[in-house]
Amino acid sequence: MALAGLGVGGCRRWPREHIVPYAHRPEGRMPGIPEHYASCFDFGGIAQGVLVTSNDGRPTKIEGNPEHPDSRGASDAFTQAAVLDLYDPDRSRSVTYGGKPSSLAAFKEWLSMYLPEHGEGIAVISESSSSPTFHRMQRAFMRQYPQAVWAEHDPLANTNEREGLQHAFGGNWMPVHDFSKAEVIVSLDADFLGAGPMQVANTRGWASGRNPKNGTMSRMWIAESALSITGANADERQAMRPALLAQITEQLDSHFTRMGIGIQDSHHLNSEQHAWVEKMVADLKHAGKHGLVVAGASQLPITHYLAAYINEKIGAVGTTVSYRTLEGGGNTSIADVAKSMKAGDLHGVMIIGGNPAYDAPGDLDMAKAIASMRISVHLSGDANETSEVCKWHINRAHWMESWSDGRSADGTLCIAQPLIQPLFGGLSPAEFLAVLSGEETTDSHTLVRTTFDPSADRWNAPWRSAVHDGVVANTATLETPPVNRTWSGGLYKVGGTGSKLPAVVFVPSGSVWDGRLANNGWMQELPDAITKLTWDNAALLSPKTAEEYGLKQGDMVNVSVGGNSVKIVVLPVPGTADDVVVLPLGYGRTFNGHVCTGAGVNVYPLRNSKNPWVDTARWEPTGDTYPLATTQMHFGIDTIPGRGTQERLPLLYREGTLQQYKHDPDFAKHVGHTLHSLSIFDEQQFKGAKYKWGMSIDLSTCTGCNACVAACHAENNIPIVGKDQVLMGREMHWIRIDRYFAFGEDGHGGWDGNNLKSVAIQPLTCHHCENAPCEEVCPVAATVHDTDGLNVMVYNRCIGTRYCSNNCPFKVRRFNYFDFFRREPLRSTGFLQVQPDYYVKTQSGGKTLRAMQFNPDVTVRMRGVMEKCTFCTQRIQKVKIATKNAWVKKSPAQKSADPRVAIQDGSILTACQQACPAGAIVFGDLMDKNSHVSTLHDDSRSYEMLSELNIKSRLKFLARLTNPVDGGASTEGSRH
Amino acid sequence: MTTLPINETDNTHENPHVRATLVLNHSDFGSVTNTILKVNESSRPPKSWYLALAISFSLMSMLGALIGYLFFTGVGVWGNNNPVAWGYPIVNFVFWVGIGHAGTLISAILFLFRQKWRTAINRFAEAMTIFAVICAGTFPGIHVGRVWFAYWLFPIPNQMDLWPQFRSPLLWDVFAVGTYFTVSLLFWYLGMIPDLATMRDRATTRVKQIAYGIVSLGWRGSMRHWHRYERAYLLLAALATPLVLSVHSVVSFDFAVSQLPGWHSTIFPPYFVAGAIFSGFAMVMTLAIPARELWGLKDFITMRHLENMCKIILFTGSIVGYAYTMEFFIAWYSGELYESFAFINRAFGPYSWAYWIMVSCNVITPQIFWFKKARNSIVIMFTASLLVNVGMWFERFVIVITSLANDFLPSSWGMYEPSWVDILTFLGSFGLFMTFFLLFIRFLPVLAIAEIKAVMPQANPHPHGHDDGPSTVEEDE
Amino acid sequence: MTGVTSNVAREDLYGLAAEFSDTPGIFHAAEQTHAAGYKWFDCLVPFAVHGLDRAMGVKMTILPILVFFGGFTGLLAACVLQVFTNSLQFDIWAVVPLVGYQFDVSGKPFLGAAAFVPIAFEMTVLFAALTAVFGTFFLNKLPMFYHPVLKHPALARATDDRFYLVIEAKDPKFNRDDVEAFLLSLNPDSVIELEK
Repeated sequence: MALAGLGVGGCRRWPREHIVPYAHRPEGRMPGIPEHYASCFDFGGIAQGVLVTSNDGRPTKIEGNPEHPDSRGASDAFTQAAVLDLYDPDRSRSVTYGGKPSSLAAFKEWLSMYLPEHGEGIAVISESSSSPTFHRMQRAFMRQYPQAVWAEHDPLANTNEREGLQHAFGGNWMPVHDFSKAEVIVSLDADFLGAGPMQVANTRGWASGRNPKNGTMSRMWIAESALSITGANADERQAMRPALLAQITEQLDSHFTRMGIGIQDSHHLNSEQHAWVEKMVADLKHAGKHGLVVAGASQLPITHYLAAYINEKIGAVGTTVSYRTLEGGGNTSIADVAKSMKAGDLHGVMIIGGNPAYDAPGDLDMAKAIASMRISVHLSGDANETSEVCKWHINRAHWMESWSDGRSADGTLCIAQPLIQPLFGGLSPAEFLAVLSGEETTDSHTLVRTTFDPSADRWNAPWRSAVHDGVVANTATLETPPVNRTWSGGLYKVGGTGSKLPAVVFVPSGSVWDGRLANNGWMQELPDAITKLTWDNAALLSPKTAEEYGLKQGDMVNVSVGGNSVKIVVLPVPGTADDVVVLPLGYGRTFNGHVCTGAGVNVYPLRNSKNPWVDTARWEPTGDTYPLATTQMHFGIDTIPGRGTQERLPLLYREGTLQQYKHDPDFAKHVGHTLHSLSIFDEQQFKGAKYKWGMSIDLSTCTGCNACVAACHAENNIPIVGKDQVLMGREMHWIRIDRYFAFGEDGHGGWDGNNLKSVAIQPLTCHHCENAPCEEVCPVAATVHDTDGLNVMVYNRCIGTRYCSNNCPFKVRRFNYFDFFRREPLRSTGFLQVQPDYYVKTQSGGKTLRAMQFNPDVTVRMRGVMEKCTFCTQRIQKVKIATKNAWVKKSPAQKSADPRVAIQDGSILTACQQACPAGAIVFGDLMDKNSHVSTLHDDSRSYEMLSELNIKSRLKFLARLTNPVDGGASTEGSRH
Repeated sequence: MTTLPINETDNTHENPHVRATLVLNHSDFGSVTNTILKVNESSRPPKSWYLALAISFSLMSMLGALIGYLFFTGVGVWGNNNPVAWGYPIVNFVFWVGIGHAGTLISAILFLFRQKWRTAINRFAEAMTIFAVICAGTFPGIHVGRVWFAYWLFPIPNQMDLWPQFRSPLLWDVFAVGTYFTVSLLFWYLGMIPDLATMRDRATTRVKQIAYGIVSLGWRGSMRHWHRYERAYLLLAALATPLVLSVHSVVSFDFAVSQLPGWHSTIFPPYFVAGAIFSGFAMVMTLAIPARELWGLKDFITMRHLENMCKIILFTGSIVGYAYTMEFFIAWYSGELYESFAFINRAFGPYSWAYWIMVSCNVITPQIFWFKKARNSIVIMFTASLLVNVGMWFERFVIVITSLANDFLPSSWGMYEPSWVDILTFLGSFGLFMTFFLLFIRFLPVLAIAEIKAVMPQANPHPHGHDDGPSTVEEDE
Repeated sequence: MTGVTSNVAREDLYGLAAEFSDTPGIFHAAEQTHAAGYKWFDCLVPFAVHGLDRAMGVKMTILPILVFFGGFTGLLAACVLQVFTNSLQFDIWAVVPLVGYQFDVSGKPFLGAAAFVPIAFEMTVLFAALTAVFGTFFLNKLPMFYHPVLKHPALARATDDRFYLVIEAKDPKFNRDDVEAFLLSLNPDSVIELEK
């Protein structure tokens, strides 16, 4: 504990150390003052650097680690939600054998009896990891059991890219892109801004290249089948079925690499598409070393190979892209393991993390294969589908409960320190391997430190600073290897080629990723960036295709691929390629979790191990329907509300092209005609105000990644309300991301619902209007203004008339229709609507496990009160108090010099701002004319929503700028 | 023109030369008393009364149960959601307050206008007012999220030592409705004292005698009392008249003061008041028609009375129709994007069905009263009055729901569906209303006996013309 | 018609009542009684007979003045309440141990007079109405549950269809025989003796 002052006090796993009540308060440790510890966790094989806030030993909030090269202090939704997983009441709480509680000792004894000494017939299936310690243990294991086979399994791993780059460079490589340097980005179905281990780094890079003020404005081209976050933010986008993407690849090849790859295909680009690609090629050539070609996971190895090749050709390597070799990996593939399991060559399987029984491609029939093994062990945080078919389940320690390490995208070494004594014991993967291979020391702390430096003891200075910073500087391992000019892998073929059948495209879920976050309430209720769908996945079709098949939102269809088929609900999404069905993965978990049960449909069975991303499908309507809980209503373009939306969209969401901006920098101010609204009374000027809090959101760089929504959830103790309540429109998000589809004209004064022009993505918090309409109508003064201009909501004063919500033009107020913290999250809760199972009484022990996550600085609201965004007033207060304490200590002279107790700009970060990887959200003091937010409010692009109401928002938007080719001549009309 | 002979049983002829009689088939005061009090003095009321009471009472108990359920569980049991934070409760509130406008209007405004025919209907119209306001008051009371703190709405220093926020229309409501209820109650009671005295003096059992004795405060018909009594009545009428107009204006402020498209409209106060009178008279009619049949009050609630009410319904209905048109005109003329959308959406959007029910019931139905035949047909009158009640409920539904469902930001738009609790609670409020009303007609004088006697020709102390002062005003009826 | 036999002791006599069956009768009786200079007399009638009060020489009541002041009090109360609780300046009132609240609401001025009008109006009406009703009760000395005229069974019809003129014994001019004679001269249906 003595190290608390140095910030490593969270290391509560020195041998034989336990949490004990303080007899004396350790120096530098102030009860009630939260502390921050650097750590990291492995996600999709890349270490995510985090800074965890711990309140009196309870990890409550995760931020990005500013030292970490990928994060730089920002984070994504998954990182934000990780803290809730720690307190998931469904976490497994002990080692079990055949479902019955057992012990680690019993397991070890069992091992010594049954594990063949050379590992004959034993397979290890591990999830992808970047941890050097894990790899060290892996090598140790393989030394111990040389005849065992090892397969790495990650359902969303970019296996095609690995293979493509193997052809290009030989060995295991991954590309590391630097979008900040890219002026022209060509994406072949690559959703690099979407959810994934690289989202934060990519988004930050991309955003920094989108600011015309400092002369950088990249152009992003994308051709994709599903409408992805990247597509929504692209300047030039074409939606096309996978087979046509192959045609684009060929066209690129003919211009740059001239491999002369042939394609037999019945699908061909139409002239318009062809011309579009030509423009893209020209643009790419022109960009030279500042160009960049990115291929998505769905693309076949050849495409990845070509991408690497083209990037080398245009000289982008080293500028916009570099590469890194990957450690670890296995000596076989999961497909082969499955095959030899069926063949009976294997009789045992050790599964480290992951959930192959649930997420392995359907053709492998993994669950049955595992069940047939004589030896089957599963290390897992929750007793999931795989544990259910394994004999042994070893409960895994959460990453916040054990030591570990890992490598960031660029290879920088990261150290993970634990934040809390394991709540239910458990082993980390490295520890588990150490146990298997019979190491003498198996505690993660020693293992990790030994990997770091075998000679280092716990007091070793480099080690301690590494732990303190969470990263080890200058350990990046980026390289720029030359591309091997000959393609060694057969002829080019793409899934679905030639077939007239509709294509099926699998995409990861932006909410639950591969399914690992399915039992995380925040993620289940997180509206999908594009569909705004919560608690479910759905088969996404283009409106045109849906119409052809006579399907509308909520209809069920039977989608069958090859032999397997699933029943899933349809959700038409503009911008989806025609004749394509998009199936998000990760839903339909079947293990009995409080949250995930009944949420969505598992589509993994439809995947095949050859090409798990693209295939051809059949579907027929089943006739029945299923309710979809979207947080935004969908009105057909031919309905009054639909047309009304299109009418007012240009006023609410202002966007323009780079050309417009150059020609008229404050074009955003000339949209609509806001009359000069004069007050009939002289407005309160916040007499004696010392600060004037304001916020600015840049619509140009906001991608809609949802990190802010999740961060707000975690920071402000926002309840999850469950699907039934979302269906009724009672979701509680304080910050929401509005998504509108702007359509093109249909020729006769209306709009064409099949002609998507642009996707408007607009985050919305409480505007803290200076003339807040909500306040005057409250009969009990439960919402009033403080002198700093915050529109404060006084919970204990609120009686719940809900009038304020009615009078809020932005409808950002949220009402507690029930005691949501006393309700079951997902399942409909019967007559009395109260079923506190999840939050209050969890199964055996851990009485109020969920409640440990609560932020002690924020009230947990009861039933019947209104709530809304507070601009994170608790964070403001914290900084204010600190500053004022410092100010009081100043000399009179200094005091008079600074009577306002100026708070340093940027020292207050709202939760959403801190999380935002694009830096689109800026908060600060408008009183200080030089503060970042002030300059943004004065920016020419800055505009105020619904200013005609004379409400004087403290939240202003920066109009979105796009950079379409030839000034968007083609799309001008639709934009305004 | 030639003077028509006055048929004693049909007083609906318009003849400027002859004053139409208001009381038929009664030449002396005693028989008036007997006929009216027959209801209360009969040992057992008609079977239909028991049946009606049984139904109403069970509905009322259901209301109680539902409110208990609501308090225990939370307002989430209703259909209210995020855009539509006010649902049925407020719709019902405005509906009932509207109903509650006829009574005091009849007592006050018609009194000031010397409309003597009011005497036949004012008593139970006032009763109706009071019960309607009770129903109305229930809804805002139970609709708040934390009902146990609802008393914070009153200007009493509470444990948090805080006061209400007087700029809020909701608070104006509290005062307006509170005042209206109190004044109506006083008005009702004051008017009833002489009749209660009559009942006391005719009481056949000791219990009745004591009960009515207490409530009649020992009224003995002293002319010196009558003198002050009439003064007080006149003053109350003078006070209640602006009050009636103010109450629904204030209720309309709940909407007009906000800035929601479809709510933020200066036409609301007059439009709401007209609507209130409209619905109020419709409800009086709905109650009067069966009552006069069952209770044999045809001699007092004559066709002429009903016809007059029809005329008022026609008039106010037309005002309401004008208001609907005007709203559209203003929405179009303002050229304000959100405003015009709100009204187009109202008429042709997802809730158009409700809108057209409203228009056909409130604007088209009353037009039938241009025809004397309709004004004299019990069936038509009764049906029309029912339709108007329905239409006026839908008017409030349209105003509250459609405006909230689609306001400024399309992202927050959402549809509203009432839950089963919403619907049953609304039904229950009718139970509450009818239970009170049935008890009233059983135990209290249904008509203002003394006032009716006063408007009979026999009441004139100077049958042979010569008269003094103000009474000439009263001659022209 | 002949006089009534006296069977009430003089000291128990409350007064004599003459019964009339129609309004003209009572009206003229009242006029003559007033003319005859009787002070302590009253008419018991089932409804307010028009002009009877003037015929009896009843003076105009002070009720309207009371009501005016009632209303004024209400207005004052409303203004004080709203101004004090919503827009009171602390620094001025620092000496007074009262608290006012300046809610900064929608940027509106603390003394939002316009917003205070509705409540001011309502409270004016409320107070005025209360004064009107309870003022009448007070002036009429109601409730009064015992009164000699309520005791006599015949006079029960005063609330139904009969009209009575009562001259009280406490009237200075009261003399049983004269009064009886006087009442008979008004040719009533009957004359009744009222016991205290």
